[in-house]
Amino acid sequence: MDNLGVFLQIIFWGLYAGCIYILLATGLNLIFGVMKIVNFAHGEFLMIGAYITATIFFISGINPYLIILLSMLALIGIGAVVERFCFRPILGTGKLNEIFLSIGLIYIFQNGAALIWTDEWQSVKSPYDGISLPFGSFSIPLDYILIMFFTAAIICGLYLFLKKTTIGMQMRATSQNRKGAMLVGIDVERIDVISFGLGCALAAAAGTLWIVSGQIFNPYMGSIPAIKAFAIIILGGLGSIPGAIIGGLLMGLAENGAAFLLGGIWKDAISFVILIIVLVVRPTGLFGEKGD
Amino acid sequence: MKYSVLFIASILIVAVFIAGCTQQPATQQPSTTQGVIKVGVIASLTGPASNVGTNMWQSAQVAADKINSEGGVILKDGSKAQIRLIVADDESTQQGGQKAATKLITDDKVDILVGGYSSAVTSSYQQTIAEHRIPYIVTGASSPIITRRTDIDTSYVFHHCPTTDAYGQYTTLFIDQVVRPAVNKKLSAPADRPFRLALLYQDTAFGKGIQTAVNNTITKNNLNIQLVSQESFKMGDSDFRTQLTKIKAASPDAVYLGAFPNEGAPIITQARRDTNLNTIFLNAENNDNAQFYKDLGQYGEGAIIESRFSPYIAPVGAVADAQNEFKQSYFARFGTYPDMMGASTYDGVFIATQVIENAGTTDKAAVRQALIDLEMPQIIEAMKDQTCSFSSDFRESTFDLWMEQLAYNATIGETRPVIVWPDNLKTADFVLPSWYVAGSSS
Repeated sequence: MDNLGVFLQIIFWGLYAGCIYILLATGLNLIFGVMKIVNFAHGEFLMIGAYITATIFFISGINPYLIILLSMLALIGIGAVVERFCFRPILGTGKLNEIFLSIGLIYIFQNGAALIWTDEWQSVKSPYDGISLPFGSFSIPLDYILIMFFTAAIICGLYLFLKKTTIGMQMRATSQNRKGAMLVGIDVERIDVISFGLGCALAAAAGTLWIVSGQIFNPYMGSIPAIKAFAIIILGGLGSIPGAIIGGLLMGLAENGAAFLLGGIWKDAISFVILIIVLVVRPTGLFGEKGD
Repeated sequence: MKYSVLFIASILIVAVFIAGCTQQPATQQPSTTQGVIKVGVIASLTGPASNVGTNMWQSAQVAADKINSEGGVILKDGSKAQIRLIVADDESTQQGGQKAATKLITDDKVDILVGGYSSAVTSSYQQTIAEHRIPYIVTGASSPIITRRTDIDTSYVFHHCPTTDAYGQYTTLFIDQVVRPAVNKKLSAPADRPFRLALLYQDTAFGKGIQTAVNNTITKNNLNIQLVSQESFKMGDSDFRTQLTKIKAASPDAVYLGAFPNEGAPIITQARRDTNLNTIFLNAENNDNAQFYKDLGQYGEGAIIESRFSPYIAPVGAVADAQNEFKQSYFARFGTYPDMMGASTYDGVFIATQVIENAGTTDKAAVRQALIDLEMPQIIEAMKDQTCSFSSDFRESTFDLWMEQLAYNATIGETRPVIVWPDNLKTADFVLPSWYVAGSSS
């Protein structure tokens, strides 16, 4: 393998990792943008999404790329319930309440998943396992191309939803000025539910794409990605969807670049090194605005 | 506001309750109210190592059942005592390990400890063991630091598990004596062609222990093995594609993995499926685990596992019947097969029982002395001289090891092992798979 081939392959793995981060961080940023809440349990929605897809796949054998829609729908429902009964009662009561609530939710979801699915690691075999497409000096497994395609499609769908639909415009308005949105008659509590549900659905999509790539999963899989998603949204700018996309890609590329150049133990650390540098140079993040 | 506070408080209480569901020590009640010997089992029941930890705990229960059904322990005054197991979950973390050890020693007041998986986790609570001077038979953590560290008093710790030094050396010698000639033959290369070995290891005491053992063995024995790549990863990582791409660029003849089963299976899968690294993967013994075979599927074909107990094969000889009886008892109770760490924990419970019987008391110092003096026939694992005993210097057991190669069985969709080394135990010859690609022929 020549040096260019190796370089391109590392970039490719970075883009793949970036896709998972983009979906997770965009969902987190959508929720933060509208509700301004800190939800450390966001990674658990990734985990639940992964388990829902895996369970349906194991029972029915349906193509997991098709189950992604079911998983997202299920997480919209779960997210709506969590928002209504957990976060809404404490909205505006202080960040400490949100942090403790979300830590409690982490335990509930992790232990709940362990009770339902056991806490042994599992894996899903994609129907396209073993199929690769030639790309220059190396071949790319079809699954990774599909993962990138689905990520792009979901993000484009979200963009159109936010730009073209009434609810999307109401979500953006609420994100920009919650009190102003209330004054013009927007039902912000309804928007909160929808935003939280959509954010969870994006996490479910990330979880599904995680497992179809052949990565193992267990009830504790969401904790580290959630921390990284927070780093990404701070890096990209709190509440900024484009910031989450660019931040996610940067994170994926930086992690894999660091693993290649510095060694695997730097993979997680490099993300936070970049985060610190960006915050020192531009405290609002790459795409954040003053006041966020 | 009042209701909000009440609601959050309720949520927290429920969270603590549910979280506690996995942390409460389970106990196995003896069938008699006579004297009871309390054996504490430290295992990873939750977290990334829960598969192995659960196996250890369940194996301990099978051992306790057998011991109690055969009459239990005979004490110095002639009275019989049943053994009672108390498990504590180390949560696969260092903090969890400290909590588990402290709870078993101070709350449950166990007489002896067995278990411990992951050298990083086990070494984190050795200070507690030292302070309370309680005999501890470590059956899962394999770094030699467990009994060789000098910063803490380890005199009450006994290591019934081959160290990374032992099996790292064993595997490297297997590479030199078996894999290297086979690759040279395939390449029609001269016998003095250096073997190109790559390492991919967990960045912990366990993984670094393997790395050190391989390097030391090559140097000490002047082996014709060249380490062309040495890459590491963080414990619990699941994406290894970048390290594998780098390793492939180094063109190795084989890759030795210092990984847990939940890491080893995705490493091999990602290597063969995603990076076309079609080589021989050598695995440490902790991977001889039913879930590992299941996760590997067809990608396990040709892989090597250094072993001393397998869920699917037993060496010809004295321990075969004992191993099969254990596997059947385990399967009958839990519906699955035990793994290697389970086997050593099974051994560990028997050893704990024997030394208390030998000491005739649960006095900690007397039990420790009984462990030092132990000369016990091997139980289910093949031991050197067919005897369980601990070395006088670092209190380590010495095992008879073997190397397995995995062959794909399309009917079950998984690989199954055959023993290929040493010659006195082997059931088949080592073969290079048809798809195998050797490193550069330089």
